[in-house]
Amino acid sequence: MKSNHPILINSLLLAALSFVSWSCQDNGNSIINRNYELVWEDNFDGPAGESPDPAKWTYDVGIGPGNDGWGNNELEYYTSRPQNISLDGAGNLAITARRESFGGRSFTSARINTKDIFEQAYGRFEARIKMPWGPGIWPAFWMLGANIDEVAWPQCGEIDIMEYRGQEPNLIHGSLHGPGYSGGAAVTKSFGFTNNRFDVDFHIFAVEWGDGYIDYYVDDTLYQRLRPEDVNGEWVYDNPFYIILNVAVGGNYVGFPTSQTPFPQTMQVDYVKVYKEVN
Amino acid sequence: MKNMKHTSSVLALFTAWAILTMVSCERDMEDLEPAAFPTTPEVFIDAFSAGLNYGAFGGSKVTAFDVDAEVKYKGSASMRFSVPDAGDPRGAYAGGSYFTSVGRDLSGYDALTFWAKASKSATIDVIGFGNDFGASSFLTTLKAVKVNTNWQQYIIPIPDPSKLTAERGMLFYSEGPESELGYTFWIDEVKFEKLGTLAHPRAVILDGQAQVTSAEVGQQLNIGGTKVTFNLPTGIDQTIETAPSFFTFISSNPSVASVSSSGVVTVLEAGAAVITAKLGDVEAVGSLTLNSAGQATGPTTAAPTPTVSADSVISLFSNAYTNVPVDTWNTRWEFSTAEDFDLQIAGNDVKRYRALNFVGIEFTSQTINASAMTHFHIDIWTPDPTELPAAFKVLLVDFGANGVFGGTDNSSHELSFTRPTLVSNQWVSLDIPLSNFTGLVNRGHLAQLVLSGSLPNVYIDNVYFYNAGVVVPSGPATAAPTPSRSAADVISIFSDAYTNVAGTDFFPNWGQATTVTQVPVAGNNTLLYSGLNYQGTQLGSNLDVSAMTHLHLDYWTKNSSALNAYLISPGPVEKASVLTVPTSGWSSVDIPLSTFSPVDLANLIQLKFDGNGDIYLDNIYFYKTSGGGGTTPTTAAPTPTFNAANVISVFSNAYTNVAGTDFNPNWGQATVVTQVPVAGNNTLLYTGLNYQGIQLGSSQNVSSMTSVHLDFWTANSTALKVFLISPGPAETPYTLTVPTSGWTSIDIPLSAFSSVVDLTNVIQFKFEGNGTIYLDNILFHN
Repeated sequence: MKSNHPILINSLLLAALSFVSWSCQDNGNSIINRNYELVWEDNFDGPAGESPDPAKWTYDVGIGPGNDGWGNNELEYYTSRPQNISLDGAGNLAITARRESFGGRSFTSARINTKDIFEQAYGRFEARIKMPWGPGIWPAFWMLGANIDEVAWPQCGEIDIMEYRGQEPNLIHGSLHGPGYSGGAAVTKSFGFTNNRFDVDFHIFAVEWGDGYIDYYVDDTLYQRLRPEDVNGEWVYDNPFYIILNVAVGGNYVGFPTSQTPFPQTMQVDYVKVYKEVN
Repeated sequence: MKNMKHTSSVLALFTAWAILTMVSCERDMEDLEPAAFPTTPEVFIDAFSAGLNYGAFGGSKVTAFDVDAEVKYKGSASMRFSVPDAGDPRGAYAGGSYFTSVGRDLSGYDALTFWAKASKSATIDVIGFGNDFGASSFLTTLKAVKVNTNWQQYIIPIPDPSKLTAERGMLFYSEGPESELGYTFWIDEVKFEKLGTLAHPRAVILDGQAQVTSAEVGQQLNIGGTKVTFNLPTGIDQTIETAPSFFTFISSNPSVASVSSSGVVTVLEAGAAVITAKLGDVEAVGSLTLNSAGQATGPTTAAPTPTVSADSVISLFSNAYTNVPVDTWNTRWEFSTAEDFDLQIAGNDVKRYRALNFVGIEFTSQTINASAMTHFHIDIWTPDPTELPAAFKVLLVDFGANGVFGGTDNSSHELSFTRPTLVSNQWVSLDIPLSNFTGLVNRGHLAQLVLSGSLPNVYIDNVYFYNAGVVVPSGPATAAPTPSRSAADVISIFSDAYTNVAGTDFFPNWGQATTVTQVPVAGNNTLLYSGLNYQGTQLGSNLDVSAMTHLHLDYWTKNSSALNAYLISPGPVEKASVLTVPTSGWSSVDIPLSTFSPVDLANLIQLKFDGNGDIYLDNIYFYKTSGGGGTTPTTAAPTPTFNAANVISVFSNAYTNVAGTDFNPNWGQATVVTQVPVAGNNTLLYTGLNYQGIQLGSSQNVSSMTSVHLDFWTANSTALKVFLISPGPAETPYTLTVPTSGWTSIDIPLSAFSSVVDLTNVIQFKFEGNGTIYLDNILFHN
């Protein structure tokens, strides 16, 4: 998420076959049988227009500490205004990107995180999300190492549970950025539908993360399994991470929105849940 | 390469889905209903799919389509379309439809897809499906399809697949030359598919507008502007135009207005109804709100029967008179919404206009000469409110002497009527003095009547011109004397005998009370000032009469006791000359221009009369007395007596002349060319000759002729030559003896020219010399 990285697509055949097996056997081997206990959640229940719970989330406001579009040449100005981020009254968080002049930028949107509020190493991190759409729209559900202020990025590590480009509404991407494999060299895999899209209904995006592994899921399909030997550098995923939700507009990863990109565009998040593995 | 990888992984996933289907999710075959129609998705992969036919559109180049085995996206062949160049005699564009005779059930698919490329970057006008050369109920069109020299995939979503259970129109296209030039494009792998990746349909009717309209019982309106926008798998929105039949139309009040499945609204009774639509489950943006007043309100009594004597009337529409031919009562000009109806009210024929914004009424085939008329009459009846600013407008258009629209001789004027003249729900008779149409300079060739304004519903009757008969009877019985001065010595303002200064306004609005009309007196057009207090004449252009010596005018009045004529130059500087009134018959006066000092004779802008009474005026012109007598022929040139079969005539009243000849081509000469009557015979006059050409309307082969004949007359020329010219130019002169004593007729043997000039291809005449020359009967004969 932190910087540009081209699609690195490996064969999805493994994931697909897993899905097949599961579908036909009810309790397939794509879901690793782990026992989890819910430790943190936000179901975004509340009246329409209300801001997300300040006891759970803080805002990233503006255009990034380097005034460089959050390191990615993103075009939006992040605000904490209800028109960019608020509950929709139907049980969802709505993060809405708008085409409007604000703070010297041509678009506004929002980005929230749990830094210093909720941070955890290992467990299952999941969110149920319906995507926005249109070229240049870049929503994400991701995590950064909580030690980012001490060791800086990419040493802190970045787990991108879900990234999506509005011009490819049938694809999502799961990635790891760490020392020696960040930005364009990140470890990435994509998951795609042949006859469906991520912007027409809700889907669950999750990682199951433990000592020496991170498994990526869309709904019940395990599509990527990463181990220390899969990354071209240090495995930095044994420390607490915090959660981030945002909708970027433009940027190196996604390209510019076009005149055909319909605005406003809203990412709806039904819930975010974090589990801890129990025996 | 990245794209390739992407593709292969997606394919792999698809394979997995297929395995899933086969292994564990077997379908119960007995649940399947037999399809009424084949579900064949292929249209053209490498050849025509089963049952597919092709028909070219009318006027298109029928050979534009062919199968191309050389260029293809995939497989062994593609469809090739050769768009013709502009002006290709075989057809103006490429266009046609691929259709089946048995319908296909396409309800299981969501898009027509194909690949296309072109020999150059271009924008194809339309590609779509649903054209079955019949009702084409589900016509779906993608417009302005951009193609370039690379193969690209195109997707035309099916607006609502559930409707396409028996579709015959598989693919159609139409494309014309781009910037006049033809080119080639190819389409391949045409098929219907179930993509599953088309999202967010947004439908509109009436282009998304909320339209409001008034309506009446029986009226039918079509809901158009039906479109749907899909988000494509690329995240980009694409809008397609779709037939209304894809939509489900809803009337909020079906007893007021019904709406058919194809979007035809029928108004049934008074009340309000809102027509909306859905495309599948999607609410379409746009609506039509109908406010029905019920049955149309109209007059129940006939308009007042006209009482003007039929011999003083030129009627366009009335049961009381014989009507002149009218080409149309509704020209349906662009942007006109007017509908016209003929109906009878109380046994009387009436015309009705509905949705009237403006309507053209034309009588161009036989224009109307209303010169002898004084008024225009029309009866109107409207149910619409007539409170201000409601207005009804009447525009009269005269096409001038050339009888056609355009040129410089058109004139027109529009008058607007409002309350209290206009009243709702009763017949209103408009009797409009033609003199009120001030811009209507001429009314000898009236050709159009245009009704407009803000009353959408108007009934009309008794449309006619008439002579009110109150201003003419006391007029002169004879025409003013016909002037005899040479046109070369005259600058004419108002006279049938001369060419008048163009563009003169005889009725400028200077606040006067005088009514100005032009009336024929014994067939001669005459200016009539009725109830004179004062009256100006605004010259069409500033006039230099400093070379002239006199102002001539003929006037006639029985009842005036004071009359002055003025010339005016800028300032204004004006000076009167007193005219003796009343007259006994026509008075002709020749006023020395010195009378009008200090008016600037080099820059006259206006004339003015003041006084009282009713004054007839004619032959208002400036002239100069010639230096000596006899500068003008008083008799016509002798009428030639050659047998017409042996003549090729260029300029003669006695023969049919070569058509289209230009007697004053611009060759840079100083000569002034006019055509003047000499004793009633049209004569060509060269004033101040240096040289002068005649451009024949077409090349003439005169090799079978023996002589060129011409009649010429000049009192002051000392040199005159005539030339024949053929292309090259090849020209040679023949010297004429000048000056003449009366008319000189000469027959010059063509052998005098043939050594130089190609007699099979004579294109021009030329005269060189000096002085004032009258010419007539220029012709070749055998």
